[in-house]
Amino acid sequence: MDEPVVFVQGLIKRYGSIAAVDDISFEVKKGEVFGLLGPNGAGKTTTLECLEGMRQSDGGTLNVDGCNPQSDGRQLRQILGVQLQSSSLPEGIRPREAMALFCAWHGLAPRYDLLSRFGLDSQNKKQYREMSAGQKRRLHLALALASDPTVVVLDEPTAGLDVQGRAQLHDAIRELKATGVTILLATHDMAEAESLCDRIAIIIRGRIAATGTPAQITSAGHSETRITLRTKRNCLLPGRDIGCARFLKQADDYGIWLCSDTAAAVMALLKEVQQSGDSVEDLRVERPSLEERFLELIERGVQQ
Amino acid sequence: MSAFFKHLWVQFKMDIRERGTLMTYYLVPLVFYFVMGAVFSSINPLARQTLAATMVIFAVTMGAVLGIPVPIVKMRESGVLRAYRVYGIPGWAVLFIQSVSAFLHLLVVSIVILVTAPLFFGASYPQSFPAYFLSLFILLFASIMLGLLIGVAARSQAMATMLAQMIFLPTVMLSGIMFPASLLPKTLRALGRLLPATYIMQSFSGLAFRLPTDIDPVLSQLITVAIGVVAAGLAVVRFRAIGKSL
Repeated sequence: MDEPVVFVQGLIKRYGSIAAVDDISFEVKKGEVFGLLGPNGAGKTTTLECLEGMRQSDGGTLNVDGCNPQSDGRQLRQILGVQLQSSSLPEGIRPREAMALFCAWHGLAPRYDLLSRFGLDSQNKKQYREMSAGQKRRLHLALALASDPTVVVLDEPTAGLDVQGRAQLHDAIRELKATGVTILLATHDMAEAESLCDRIAIIIRGRIAATGTPAQITSAGHSETRITLRTKRNCLLPGRDIGCARFLKQADDYGIWLCSDTAAAVMALLKEVQQSGDSVEDLRVERPSLEERFLELIERGVQQ
Repeated sequence: MSAFFKHLWVQFKMDIRERGTLMTYYLVPLVFYFVMGAVFSSINPLARQTLAATMVIFAVTMGAVLGIPVPIVKMRESGVLRAYRVYGIPGWAVLFIQSVSAFLHLLVVSIVILVTAPLFFGASYPQSFPAYFLSLFILLFASIMLGLLIGVAARSQAMATMLAQMIFLPTVMLSGIMFPASLLPKTLRALGRLLPATYIMQSFSGLAFRLPTDIDPVLSQLITVAIGVVAAGLAVVRFRAIGKSL
């Protein structure tokens, strides 16, 4: 797991005078799921397209499992599977035909087992135009895996899918991870990144603003823990600061406090309830989410 | 090679499933042929001499110029070309397979016309079948290359349709397949000489049916081939540029 399979050092990509990617560096270890997060136009897709060999970079070093994506296109197709953010297949093609076609160009026997694995067996008589968005995404994922790649790039694989479609695709990605494939995942979805990724990099305006495990990134923020509390007789309302718990707002019968020292704040609030002769009906402690940390980083990026 | 033939077979099947392709490759040209064949052969018996050639020129031009470009534009717009690229399908294969598939469809239609025109409308058989098929293959080559060029040059499906009509309508009116080009005003006749159909009509008439022609039929063949080669070259250059911008 420690061996880097994807290596990006000082990547630069400009469109005219605009630097879409500005000196980005990261490594992805073997078998890892590495997420690229960022707002629209942050440079995620451009970074991935440079790694896929679809774009020529303007600087930096790239390596995908020993292959330079900028110059070794043919070799790259053998080791890299790609599910593009926006792509399609001919409207009239059927899943088995697509699989047979792509395998033929790789000199392989058709991998119909991948269609079964991603639940596309029942779609064999359907043409591409008749398939749902989720089925199309799973078909593209199956095709991306046809050459048994060691690295897979998934660019916003669940965008536009319904809840069931997302869940199915998440399961497929987890299965893929279990087989030891290294995955690069670009996404807007924080929950997706938190549940699937071993490590993530947040890209803002073409630069990496933070990198680490989801937990590391979340804990590195300035956001405070949120305590939401409701008592039987509303003894804490209207709200005020209690000990180290800073009152934020009232929502219906709930009081909401922010704190840095969670244990001390909870104890102070409970002590106050007890002293008032009241009792707790509902107590929730929520640590800052990855989404809050993400928004904090974006806000900081905008201010800079 | 097996990948190429597998792709060609899949492409052929997809063409058959596509209503628009069936319309432009088969249905409209054949319906037009049956209607116009009946009309031409009854009002002007001389038209029977070259009916098998004129109707084939109409069918091939329509199929190639109207049928090929829009699917190519669609492939670019919808991301099929991007998908092909990341899945390792070479760019040349996409153009080549589209061409070969169109060639096969249009060859089928051309043979149907050649075989049925004498039976249904009393049309003349060619005096020289080798010369007929040579002219037919040259026509297929030039028309398909023009279709490809329009497909890769057009920025949208609407533009592809417009460019295709800019070639197809003058072909019908000015190339001499509907009525003799010598009846046209000089300006329109000159305009007609920009079209491959004008030259290939001369080639069919002079070499396959041994009729008198306005232009040397061998020279006409060479000009048609040259038009096809230039169109193919431009299409490849433009397609390469598209490949870089995907």
